Amino acid sequence: MKDYCLKNFDTNSKLNLKVGKIVRRLGEFLKGDKWRLGWAIIVVLINSAANVATPLIVGRAIDKFIVDKNWPELAGFGWLLAGIYIVVAVTNYFQTVLMGRVGQNILYRLRSRVFEKIQSLPLSFFNQNKLGDLISRINSDTDKLNQFFSQSLNQFMGQAFTLVGIGVFVFYTNAKLSVWMMLPVVGLVGITYILSSYMSKRSRLSLQSLGNLSAEIQESLSYFKVIVLFNRRDFFRENFKKANENNFAMSVRSGMINNISSPIYDLAWNAGLTLVLVMGIGMILKGQITVGLLIAFLAYTDKFYAPLRQMAQIWSNTQMAFAGWVRISEILDLKTDLEVMETNNTLKVKDDDVLVFDKVKFSYDGEKIILDKVNLDFKKGKTYAMVGPTGGGKSTMAALMCRLYDPDFGQIYFEGKDIRSYSGKELSEQIGFILQEQFIFTGSVGENIVYGNPNYEVYDKKKLKKELKEDGLEELVERFENGLDTEITPDTEVISLGQKQLISFMRAILRRPKLLVMDEATANIDTVTESLLQKIIDKLPTETTKVIIAHRLNTIKKADEIYFVNDGEVVSAESLEKSVEMIEKSKRKS
Amino acid sequence: MKEKNKGIFKEIKPYLGLLGLLLLVALINNGLNLWLPKITSGAIDSFNGQNFEISKIICEMTGVSVIIFVFAVGQSFLQTFLAETVAKNMRERLVNKISDQDFGFVNKVTSEKLLTIMTSDVDNVKQAMTTGLIQIFSSIILVVGSAVMLLRINVKLGLMVLAIVPVVGLVFFNVFGRIRSFFKRAQAVLDRLNKVIKESIVAAGLVRIVNSQNREIDKFNGQNDQARDLGLSIMKLFSGLIPTIGLLANSTVILILLVGGRLILAGEFTVGDLTAFNTYVSMLIFPMIMLGFVSNIIARAVTSYQRIEEVLNFEGKDDFGDIDKEIKGKIEFKKVSLSFGQKQVLKEVSFEIKPGSKTAILGPTAAGKTQIFYLMSGLMKPNSGEILIDDVPVKKYCQKCLSEQLGLVFQDSSLFNLTIKENINFQNKEDENNLKKAIETAALDDFIETLPEGLETKITERGSNLSGGQKQRLTLARALAVNPKILLLDDFTARVDRSTEKDIFARLKKNYGKITQVLITQQIASVEDFDQIILIMEGEVLAKGTHKELLKNSSEYRQLYSLQMSTE
Repeated sequence: MKDYCLKNFDTNSKLNLKVGKIVRRLGEFLKGDKWRLGWAIIVVLINSAANVATPLIVGRAIDKFIVDKNWPELAGFGWLLAGIYIVVAVTNYFQTVLMGRVGQNILYRLRSRVFEKIQSLPLSFFNQNKLGDLISRINSDTDKLNQFFSQSLNQFMGQAFTLVGIGVFVFYTNAKLSVWMMLPVVGLVGITYILSSYMSKRSRLSLQSLGNLSAEIQESLSYFKVIVLFNRRDFFRENFKKANENNFAMSVRSGMINNISSPIYDLAWNAGLTLVLVMGIGMILKGQITVGLLIAFLAYTDKFYAPLRQMAQIWSNTQMAFAGWVRISEILDLKTDLEVMETNNTLKVKDDDVLVFDKVKFSYDGEKIILDKVNLDFKKGKTYAMVGPTGGGKSTMAALMCRLYDPDFGQIYFEGKDIRSYSGKELSEQIGFILQEQFIFTGSVGENIVYGNPNYEVYDKKKLKKELKEDGLEELVERFENGLDTEITPDTEVISLGQKQLISFMRAILRRPKLLVMDEATANIDTVTESLLQKIIDKLPTETTKVIIAHRLNTIKKADEIYFVNDGEVVSAESLEKSVEMIEKSKRKS
Repeated sequence: MKEKNKGIFKEIKPYLGLLGLLLLVALINNGLNLWLPKITSGAIDSFNGQNFEISKIICEMTGVSVIIFVFAVGQSFLQTFLAETVAKNMRERLVNKISDQDFGFVNKVTSEKLLTIMTSDVDNVKQAMTTGLIQIFSSIILVVGSAVMLLRINVKLGLMVLAIVPVVGLVFFNVFGRIRSFFKRAQAVLDRLNKVIKESIVAAGLVRIVNSQNREIDKFNGQNDQARDLGLSIMKLFSGLIPTIGLLANSTVILILLVGGRLILAGEFTVGDLTAFNTYVSMLIFPMIMLGFVSNIIARAVTSYQRIEEVLNFEGKDDFGDIDKEIKGKIEFKKVSLSFGQKQVLKEVSFEIKPGSKTAILGPTAAGKTQIFYLMSGLMKPNSGEILIDDVPVKKYCQKCLSEQLGLVFQDSSLFNLTIKENINFQNKEDENNLKKAIETAALDDFIETLPEGLETKITERGSNLSGGQKQRLTLARALAVNPKILLLDDFTARVDRSTEKDIFARLKKNYGKITQVLITQQIASVEDFDQIILIMEGEVLAKGTHKELLKNSSEYRQLYSLQMSTE
């Protein structure tokens, strides 16, 4: 079986951050928003240009005013400034609206895509990963990316344009002074470069520890009754404490490294100011520049370093977003090994063969063989019983019949065609499977019964009632105190395991499958109800093939054929008595 | 609104020392920042005045910059440390609170909501209490500081500029008032998103069998849509805020230029003053915009804190008594009734079980059998009636006493992501013999021997590497490892075959012969020789007695028996 386990990252692992690749892949999530992003860039450009222009105008105004003492012209400058400030405000508004929208859309697509991906993965994926960690990846990690897109990227673009604009402008105005102004940037670039790799590593570890924390909470809450019963509240607390403390250590470290850039950038800012001031005064003394220009330059220094400092802050957010993205893309990179295959693999079968196992070999971990070269055929309209000791491989056989897994070797044919060539829809329409574990969704009993039923895209109680009556299922609905309208949730103890099994039973029967597989489907149902279920099964169309896994002998008594499953082998038990004998004799190896 | 804010700020109390230090550092830091423009303008003016010392300016600027750097680093470290400490302690308090509750609490609040509270909500509060507080504090210092500086330089112009402050306040107030309900709804949507994710993952097998992936995706996207709409609504409220404040701020620049210009002409103002004025105004405005962002954080945190408080302020806990004595194993139900909301699960159930005896509880699906076990073990409390163990109400025993003498095998197998040994020895007892006896009785020894790592084999998520029967036997071994005086088996025989069942019962008799056993079952054949059989239907005791007595006295039992005999 394929390995679907999401990797754990530790301090020694190398973080493979290829920025180019990340940007390209993230680009996929921009589809449909490209024009918004385009407009946003234009708006940001205007905004930045306006921001760049204002100190110049103010500086000019001071010079003009000092030199010329020209009052009317100063008033004109005032109007010009007012106009520019309105442009700044309006562009700022549109920038926020456009980018906010892009951010929300991206968040939506990301969450959706991750969830869709998860839905496309086989059962093995869920057995190998922790629920709490998956929730954390879908919700928290995508949110980190949302923050990046709706805030960071938006600001980053604006700041970058302003930065470049001011840089070019001051250079044009006075190259010498601007060199002094930008001198501290050289050091900043080096420091940022060194810090970045630590930042992304620490961010990654911090997100991971949050995922572990959420997994810990999830597990303990799911099994809370065991914790209470065994008086192991300390187990919950201790385990949580460990995860919590680990998360604390990781978050403090990543927080410190992420926060250190602001003071460093501030230091550079002040260094820039000092340089401009000192050099500027020297230049004034030499008559190279005016006071107005120096004042404007001091303002420009602020305008230059403010975005730079912001960009440093954004940069650490970006590292967090990238770390989140890596955790998300680990899921997105997984591929199901249960693809629908374009195979013409057919087997010449007799007309009445529904399902054929052809030299099927299967193992969960590649070591312990569960089924070894099993050959079997299931014929139309017959009832088969699978018996054998627990852990012998009965449920695995059932799971293979519905293609929850693929065999390691050999083929399974459904109606003569390789089972792998059917789409999920085709298979689910023809094969009904009642799992050993019962699943309930929050909602009413009726909604749970039609769950996944293609005939009930919309819940239709009238239609359901009619169909339940036709199938003789209506009596089962009466076992719920408000019938079809009884509200249920998976967590609560309000409905019993037996009732859950009744829902699963009705759910499968209503779909009228060609092949009905029942894995201990009625184990917790009382004998009176069970005999009722038996009658319902007997009334199924004669061509329905039934495969029953059960421990209770009365459930398998009516079987046309009994198979004994154990130790990788499946053999015919010939008769009920013989099968009992075989079970008694079988050593519980597994 | 004020009162709720107080709720969140009272959380600060334990950290007052650290917070005080942090605020002090922030104060010094911001004070120094306020000083810098003064140096600059002083330099410009002194140069105009020809008494100009370049080395002094360099020294001052460099000194102040370095001190600011040191304090800023200190501030950011302190802030991170404080933030994470707050989050850590709050989570710990939540877990301590939750872990003290009874089983019903988690069911009622739902694990999805508790998960969001402990992750996303705690994060929101953490942010508000550190970043938020510091920003508010720094902003206020900067606003007040620059206001003072402005007034010191020129009262008239200063007052004109400061006139925008109340206008900005008004704009905030307006937005702030409207935004809170959105945050509340946003957190609720997050709960629901978590729920859809969780249900679809837990039920992954079913989803794949009925091919309902698309339906799950639709369900998810429905909630996802709502999350986006709320996100957009919040964004819209904020999108107008920042530009408005920015515009107000910038208008003062024009004001300074025009009015300041006139003042310079009148000789009341210098060019250096004008520069300083512009800088102080930008110092005044930036924190105001910051306050806008912070108000966002605070508003979100207040909503989150309400959710946290709901848990922290939850009155009561799982109330066990303090009686600690050896249990003999007598169990008595006296007119016990239980209901979930409107639904009556048990109606005046009475029976008595003798110590060391074997009792079977029989009845149709949803008759209330499992709930009897939950009541017996103290997991649930009845609405009325009494449950006695050795003539003492079950809840009067201390929890340790009960958990060490009562074993319950749940119908569903809830196994932890731990090793087999850790799962069986869940109470962490240092008694190898007990453990061995439990494993042998549950007929697990052969199975464990086949595993390469034996007892140290890790059970994967939700026990997915085990068969149903193996899980069931593991939970039996877990209950037996306690070495109980009372053993409750909930439909244990459902998932093991007849021969294993017989085998296990024989081993139980041999190894745990003297303990009280109560068994919920569907099969009369397995319990014919029991001391007592209690027949339950729709929450009521229909009949009780030995197999023979019931055959004689109860028509329902006879019916059930003959039905089972005929199909067997």
